[in-house]
Amino acid sequence: MTAGITRICILGGGTAGWMTAAALSRKFKNLGLDLTLIESDQIGTVGVGEATLPHIRFFNQALGIDEPAFMKATEATFKLGIEFCDWGKLGDRYIHPFGDYGLPIDGLDFHQFWLKLRQAEGADRLDAYSYPVLAAERGRFKVPDGNIDQIGSNFGYAYQFDAGLYAGFLRTYSEERGVKRQEGKVADAELDPNSGHIAAVRLEDGSRVEADLFVDCSGFRGLLIEQALETGYDDWSEWLPCNRAVAVPCEANGELVPYTRATARKAGWQWRIPLQHRTGNGHVYWSEFISDDEAAHQLTSTLEGPALAEPKKLFFKTGRRRKFWNRNVVCIGLSAGFLEPLESTSIHLIQEGITTLVELFPKDRIDPLDAEEYNERMGLNFERVRDFLLLHYVATQRDDSAMWRHFRELTVPDSLQEKIDAWLTRGYVLKYEFGVFLPPSWIAVMLGQNLTPAHHDPRVGRYSIEDIRDRLERIRQETARAVDVTPTQAAFLQRYGAASGTSLRAAQP
Amino acid sequence: MSLNRKTIVVCGGGLDGNFVALSLAKTLGADFRIVQIAGSERRADNVFYGSATSPEGYNFLHALGLDERTLLLKSQTAFSYGSFFRRWASPQPWILCHHAPFPILAGIPLRHFLTRSGAPLEPLLISARAAALGRFAHPPDDPRNPLSRAEYGYQFSPDEWIELLDSLVANSRVERVRADITGIDHQGDTVSAVQVAGRERVSGDIFVDASGPARHCIGALASNYRATRNVAACAERQDVPQLGPPCRVIEAGPSGWTSTTHLQDSILKIRIDAADDNDLPATAIQMALGQLDEAWIGNCIAVGHAAWAIEPLTPAPMMLLQRDIVRLQELVPGSDDMTTERREFNRRFKDDLAHANSFHDALYIPETRPEAVPRRPLSPGTGSEALSRKIAQFKNRGILVSYDLEPFNEEDWTQNHLGMGRLPRQHDRQLDAIPVQQAEHDLARLQNVIDQMVSRMPPHHVYLARFKAYLEKKSHV
Repeated sequence: MTAGITRICILGGGTAGWMTAAALSRKFKNLGLDLTLIESDQIGTVGVGEATLPHIRFFNQALGIDEPAFMKATEATFKLGIEFCDWGKLGDRYIHPFGDYGLPIDGLDFHQFWLKLRQAEGADRLDAYSYPVLAAERGRFKVPDGNIDQIGSNFGYAYQFDAGLYAGFLRTYSEERGVKRQEGKVADAELDPNSGHIAAVRLEDGSRVEADLFVDCSGFRGLLIEQALETGYDDWSEWLPCNRAVAVPCEANGELVPYTRATARKAGWQWRIPLQHRTGNGHVYWSEFISDDEAAHQLTSTLEGPALAEPKKLFFKTGRRRKFWNRNVVCIGLSAGFLEPLESTSIHLIQEGITTLVELFPKDRIDPLDAEEYNERMGLNFERVRDFLLLHYVATQRDDSAMWRHFRELTVPDSLQEKIDAWLTRGYVLKYEFGVFLPPSWIAVMLGQNLTPAHHDPRVGRYSIEDIRDRLERIRQETARAVDVTPTQAAFLQRYGAASGTSLRAAQP
Repeated sequence: MSLNRKTIVVCGGGLDGNFVALSLAKTLGADFRIVQIAGSERRADNVFYGSATSPEGYNFLHALGLDERTLLLKSQTAFSYGSFFRRWASPQPWILCHHAPFPILAGIPLRHFLTRSGAPLEPLLISARAAALGRFAHPPDDPRNPLSRAEYGYQFSPDEWIELLDSLVANSRVERVRADITGIDHQGDTVSAVQVAGRERVSGDIFVDASGPARHCIGALASNYRATRNVAACAERQDVPQLGPPCRVIEAGPSGWTSTTHLQDSILKIRIDAADDNDLPATAIQMALGQLDEAWIGNCIAVGHAAWAIEPLTPAPMMLLQRDIVRLQELVPGSDDMTTERREFNRRFKDDLAHANSFHDALYIPETRPEAVPRRPLSPGTGSEALSRKIAQFKNRGILVSYDLEPFNEEDWTQNHLGMGRLPRQHDRQLDAIPVQQAEHDLARLQNVIDQMVSRMPPHHVYLARFKAYLEKKSHV
C-alpha cells in the first residue's frame, strides 16, 4: 500500500457505482486521486429504483448537473409522491406526497385541526389540503417557488428516470473528470496478509487492480464485502419477507402522471413508474405464497401497454450488511443491503452512503473510527427505512390472503409500535431528526391506511369549530386555486427544456 | 376527548410553577381549568435555574407575554451572547457563544479550515467578538448582513422573573390558590387531590408537580430521584453604575466555579461548590443534582427542579425547563388513558437530560491539564457512551456526532470541543483541494468583515438605553 489513500477502486458500474464515481471525482477534484471503476458489459445491472426521493436533487446539484439536461438524457419525469392502491383495504387509494398538508396554524400542526373538525362534524379528505396530492392527481407539475411556507410551494419533488440511462449519464460525467473505466469481470481478491485488507482484485483476463480503498458496488453478491471479507448479513425477512421480484418495461398508455404507483397484491405488491419513453413495472412478492410463474403472469396481465422486454427475475433477502465499512472496503448499493423499493429508498440509501463516505473520506490510512462512524450512521438509516416500509404492511385491514393474514398477526418492533400507538391515541407523530421520512410521510401512510386517531391534540380545543371550519376552507380553496393554475407535467417538461421528445403525451385533464 | 372539563392542578409557584401554569393557560382552551397552588415561601432553589437563557427561549418567552418590552422595562434583564470561560481548561479565556450555523466556505465547514491553519475560532464569530468588546445590536433579518448570525439570549435574575410571571399569572385565567401544600390524596399512582393548609383540598384530573426539590406531589408516588452529586450555591447581587458586557463570565475554582452575570443595574454572582466544601457560608443553598427515573407517573408530571437539577454552568437549566413545558404542552392528555403520553414524555425527558448532561460533562474533560477544571464526577448512565463517541470523532477529524433533537447544537459542541482543547487530528480531505494561501485569505477576509461590523456596534449599555427609550416612547404612543 502506498502512503496515503490515493488509489480508489469502485467495483461495479450500475447506479451505485457511477453515482459514487461521479461524487468522488467532483468532491476530490485536484487531489490527484486515482479513481478506477471496474465493470463488465457482460454483467447486467439490476437498475433498481427508477423512482427517487426529493433528496436526489441535492445530489445532482452538488455535482453541478443541469436539471433539464439530466432529465432529457434519462427520460425523466417529475415525481410528487407515490400512489398506494389496495393497501389498507381492497379499493383504497391514497397518495403519499412530498410535502405538507395545509399550513401550521399558530405553530400547531394542520392535521390536528383537521382531526378536530372531522371528529366534530366531518371534513373533506386531508388530501384536499395538499398541493402535491391534488397536482399529482390531475397530472400537473411546476417547480416550487422560493417561499416554502406558501401553499403551492410547500412541497418537494423527485424524479422517475431510467436508472440505466442515469448510470450512463454519470459515466460520461465521471470519465470527463478523470475516472478510468476498466472493462472486465473480477475473478478474485488478494488480501494483504498483515492487515487483512484487500490489496488488489484480479480480473478474468489476468490483469490486476491495486487500490488503497475499495468501494463495493457489485450488487447482491457483495464480491468484496461478503465473498472476500465475509462480513455477514443481518436478515430482516422476519419483518419484510418478500424475497423475489419480476420486472418488465412496457409502452406507456399516454398518462404522464407525476407519481409512482404501488398496488398491493395478494402476495406482494406491484410498481408502476411512468417515464417519458416507457413505463417501468415490477412485482415484488413473497415466494412462499405465490409461484414465480404466477407472479410474472399477474404482472404481465396487468400491463397498460405491450411489454418492451422479457420479464427479468430478481432474488433477494431483505436486510443489511453487518458492517457497511469493513477494513478497506465500503459497500454501497445492493451490496450494502436490500430494502424493497416500496418507498423509492434504494437510490436514496446509495446517496446517503456516498455522502457519508465523502464526509469521512480517509486521508493517510484506513481508520477504524471512520468505519465505526460510517457504520453507525448507515445502520440508523437502514433501520428507520425498514420501520417505515413495515408500516405499510401492518397498517392493514386486509385478510384476503395468507400474506396479509400473516402481517395482521405480526409483532412489530417496539420502535414502530410506539409510533403507531402515539398516532392512534391523538394523531401525534414521534419525531426524529436523522432519518429520511418526516412526519408528513408518516401521516400520509397511517391515515391513508385507515389508522384513525381516537383524539386530537387538546391544544386545538381553544379554537371554535366555526373558526376551524373557516380556516380550513380558506386553505382548501387556496390549494385548489394553486393547482388550477399549474400546467400539466407534459407542458411543463416542454417549457422547462426537459422533454426528450421520445414519446411525450399529455396527461388526461 | 372527554366531554367533561378537565382540571390541571399545578403544584408550585416558583419560576417553574409560574411558567408551566401560564403556558398551559395560554395554550389550552376553556375545556381545561388551570389551578395553581403557590406556597407562601420563596423557593431558594431558583438560583439553580441560573441567570442566562439561550436563543431558543425568545419565542417561548414572547408567547407567554415576556416580550422585550416587559423584560427590559420591568426588570433588569440584559442581552446575552453567551459565556466566557476563564481559567477553564486553558490559560486563555474562551467563549461559548450563541451563533447561527457557522459559515461554510467552498462547501466545507469552517472548523476544518481552523484545524488546518491552527487559527482560533473566536475572531470569526460575530457574537463572540461583540461579546468580548462589550457591544450589542439586534440581528437584522437580512441574511447577507454578518450581524444576522449573532443570536442572543438574556441575562436575568430568576427572582425578578418570578415577579414578572406572578403578575402575568394574576392577569390570566389561572385560578391561584395561595397556600402551602400539606399532603396528597392518591390511590396507587393516581392522585385525586392536593391537601393545602387552611383550605379545602384541591381536586383535579392531572397534576403537575412544579414544587421543586420538595416534590410534594410526585414524591408521594413511587418515584425515584437519583442524586448524582450534592452541591451548594451562593448568590450575591451588587449594584453597579453601568451595565457590563452582554456575556457571563464563568471562572473555575478548585471545587466549583463562579459566574458573573451583568444585569442593567447590577451584577449577579453565583458561586457553585461541592456541598462538602468547608469554606461555604451558612447561607449556601444545598441541592442534590440528579433526576427522576420517570418524570411522569400515573397522572402526575414533574417539571423543573421537581424532576431534575443540573448545575447552571450553561443556559441548560432554562433550556431543560422550557423543554419540560413544551413536552407537556404537546402531550397534555385528551383522555383518561395516559399510557401513550406518559411513555413518550418519559422517553423525551430522559433523552433531553442525557444530552444536557453530556454537554456539561464535556466541559469537565480537558484535553490537557486535568487540574484546570473543577473536580467533579461525570454523570453516570446513558449519556456517557454517546459523549465518548462525540469526543473521539471530533478529535479524530472534526466530525460532529449528533443525536436526535439535542438541546445543544453543532455550533455549541464545536465551541465546547475547541474550548476544552480538543483539536482534530486531521481536517476534511476536500479542503486539500483549496490552496492554503487562498484559505488564509478567505479567513482573513471573513475576520475583517466581522471586525468592521463589530466596530460599528454600540456598547451594550448604550444600545440597551437607546432601545429602552424607544420602547418607552412606543408604549406612550
